[in-house]
Amino acid sequence: MVKTRQIAIIGLLVSIGLFLHLIEAMLPLKLIIPGAKLGLANIVILMGLVLFGFRGGGLILLLRILLTSILAGTLLTINFYLSLAGGVLSFGVMYFLYTYWRDRFSLVGISVAGAVSHNLGQLVTSYLIIDNPGIFYYWPYLVLLAIPTGISVGLVSYFSLSYLPTELSKGG
Amino acid sequence: MKRLWNYLTIYDKVLIISLIMISGIFMLTPLVGLLSEQDRGNQEKEIVIQTGDGRVQRILLENTFQEEALIIPVEGPLGISYIEAHQGRVRIKEAPPADPLKICEHTGWIEQAGPPIICVPNKISVWIEDKESELDGVSW
Repeated sequence: MVKTRQIAIIGLLVSIGLFLHLIEAMLPLKLIIPGAKLGLANIVILMGLVLFGFRGGGLILLLRILLTSILAGTLLTINFYLSLAGGVLSFGVMYFLYTYWRDRFSLVGISVAGAVSHNLGQLVTSYLIIDNPGIFYYWPYLVLLAIPTGISVGLVSYFSLSYLPTELSKGG
Repeated sequence: MKRLWNYLTIYDKVLIISLIMISGIFMLTPLVGLLSEQDRGNQEKEIVIQTGDGRVQRILLENTFQEEALIIPVEGPLGISYIEAHQGRVRIKEAPPADPLKICEHTGWIEQAGPPIICVPNKISVWIEDKESELDGVSW
């Protein structure tokens, strides 16, 4: 029973993540800073991490990246590896902070750290591909943008989680 | 706003403030280099185009002040990117249709030594280099 519920909720979160990614793609934020994104999909990753721990959150992350790239037609291209690198690094950082320093960092701090490490992972991968250190020029601008978006994502996850019925979170 | 401030822990605030400060420092570092170069003309500047296979093309910036814009087709793994240089500025005019996000196209014009235009999917980067200074403009 618990297992079935978990699968259903993970599926729901993945589809919400896909939808948020679509919404995000409509916003012309990347015109201001090349490569900038809101990172709305991080909401579901963070919620999955809180509800189901490492396995659930990681599953949501991988499924979301896979499905997004299939829908956008970028599977196994450079864009796919870029989002995979950013996603895996940011999930690793968030998992570490949430597991070991949960009493020190709130969800907002965890989400900001995740957003910044997502940028870092993508920039390092881009640097490996393009071999031009000038790409790190964009890092401070991306970080300054990642802070407000990270705070909002953290708050959204926190409030969404606090409105969920308590039996939902027992499944993990 | 007050609720947000109360919700954040000390560690959150330290993290956020230190990130802002670090990125502020990083943002100012290249600017220091730029300010001293600003008075020089276009004489010593050149456009550098680097492709994925490591080939580098250089064009003097002073050669771009002509009636017609200079269009340079550059071949990458996804197809041909058209780079336009005109009146001392350079941009990616057209990324290949296979590039899904076309970030380099949206970056627009650059006219100073500083942030490059980067096209990760097509492995092309374009930047302006000052021949006088030994630095590429990257100062860390």
